[in-house]
Amino acid sequence: MKHPSAVIRNRGLRQDNLQAVLMILPFLLGFILFSYVPIIYILRYAFTDYNGYTAANWTGLHNFQRVFTKDPDFWMSLVNTVTLSFFKLLAEIPLALLLAVLLNQKIKGIGFFRVTLFLPAVISAAIIGLIFSLLFAAFNGMVNTMLQTVGLIGKPINWFGTKGNAMLVLGIASVWQNYGINMMFFLMALQSIPQEIDECAELDGAAGLRKFFGITLPMIAPIFESVLLMAIIGSLKVCDLVISLTDGQPGGQTEVAMTYIYKFFFGKSGRNIEIGYASAMSLITAVFLGLVTLVYVRGTRRIKGGVKE
Amino acid sequence: MKRRKLLKKLPVYLFLTVFFLISFFPVLFTFMSSFKSNMEILTTGNSLFPRQFVLENYIKAWQMADFSTYTKNSVFLSFFCVIGAVLSSTCCGYVFSRARFRGKEFIYYLMISSMFVSLGTLTLYPLLMIMRVINLNKSLWGVIIIRVFGMNVTNLFIARGYIATIPTEIDEAAKIDGCSFFRIYYNIIFPLCKPLIATVAILAFRSSWNDYMLPMVFTMTDPKRMPLVVGIMRLKSSGAAASSWNLMLAGTAISLIPMMLIYLVFNRYFVAGMTNGAVKG
Repeated sequence: MKHPSAVIRNRGLRQDNLQAVLMILPFLLGFILFSYVPIIYILRYAFTDYNGYTAANWTGLHNFQRVFTKDPDFWMSLVNTVTLSFFKLLAEIPLALLLAVLLNQKIKGIGFFRVTLFLPAVISAAIIGLIFSLLFAAFNGMVNTMLQTVGLIGKPINWFGTKGNAMLVLGIASVWQNYGINMMFFLMALQSIPQEIDECAELDGAAGLRKFFGITLPMIAPIFESVLLMAIIGSLKVCDLVISLTDGQPGGQTEVAMTYIYKFFFGKSGRNIEIGYASAMSLITAVFLGLVTLVYVRGTRRIKGGVKE
Repeated sequence: MKRRKLLKKLPVYLFLTVFFLISFFPVLFTFMSSFKSNMEILTTGNSLFPRQFVLENYIKAWQMADFSTYTKNSVFLSFFCVIGAVLSSTCCGYVFSRARFRGKEFIYYLMISSMFVSLGTLTLYPLLMIMRVINLNKSLWGVIIIRVFGMNVTNLFIARGYIATIPTEIDEAAKIDGCSFFRIYYNIIFPLCKPLIATVAILAFRSSWNDYMLPMVFTMTDPKRMPLVVGIMRLKSSGAAASSWNLMLAGTAISLIPMMLIYLVFNRYFVAGMTNGAVKG
């Protein structure tokens, strides 16, 4: 009796699966084409002298040899990337956490602050770079004027004249761009803490900083971990902001890895187009990014293990 | 008692107000500066409010500096990216939450894992090469195809999570009535996804409207196809940067206004979308 209906159901299931596969097929193909195929391209070019016009010649490890022995500028750009990421996250993450804690209170007007503090996160990174380059302009910029009015500086600072200053401006702009989104991540995490735990802690006499470090922080640790990982990877991949704010000025000293390599791919800032060489640098950068992620994941696991013991 | 409570809250309000000013000031500064004459920007660009409000920058930017074309291109690019993102994320979210074919989980994790393989700027050149094969390397269609079919992991997260909360009894009832897998998506699930669609659409609008590097390399040789952000940046990197700050600022204001308006009206969806995918994933 059941047999025919089971056949129909079976046929229906097969039909359904076919439709399901057809529905994701275009996206699956696109995904492979745009996520993995570019990596194959880079792998292929990295061992050639391809320049975009003439045929590519196999050059073996020559590009890598050049990166490791003859290109201190690339390593400087990588060091810049790490330095910038480190210092800006040192300011940004605690700031975002502090603001999230403040915004997590039930006080009047808190909605207004939640909306406005998040505002920078919806603006294009390139546009942010543009706005900050005007704000920090050397001779008649807003920031110089304000600092002078307050009396902190005697004469205008040439913000893009030295490497240190330019990096500082990059850091400030980057913090401004990103603290809102991290603040929101932390706020979501804080709101997911059950109210009872909060109340229990207060009954036990934990308050203020002790409550924060003893209860709140451990409670949001898992989210904190993934937010920090995303923030680290995101800032190591920074590109738009740097291109539009300093574009490597002064004299290529504030170049980060992504902008430096980009210029070899597309022959910008007076460079020749060197696809092969740029691909080799891309591979090294990719391996570096992968290592950072690996070390981070391993590291946090060890810390967690330590806490459990 | 009440006064003491208020006194305790005062530092909090002060601190938040400082950060409100910090967040808001650069935006206000941009809008105000866009009403200054170029003379004023270059010589005494250091007062917040313009000495004299001039609309000329906007007129010039719109008529002479091609900003009407840039705006049209931006609208075009964002429109198709938004439509594409809504279709792709609801479609894939539905399949990954409901379908039962073998290998589904594997494909899902393969897509999610791309978050860690994505190399950002480094893949721009290969993407251009791939699009050259089908002759779309000099058109915004290339950008649209990459953005839509390249799958956005965040959107996929959100969509799968949202569709998983729709009770499966609805599907089963429809199946008994003879609906096929696709018909259930088309007639039942999709109409139930309104909040999801709003979130995905807004996120897609934000990223496509703000996108810089990808549309830039696709329109490098053809200013007539540039979207707003690319057009503005083109002025900055051109030799005549100093003399066109007023146009750049007017252009920037033009690009900021729609974004700001949409954010102020739909900020709930913005925040939900931008935080959900990451925290819950």
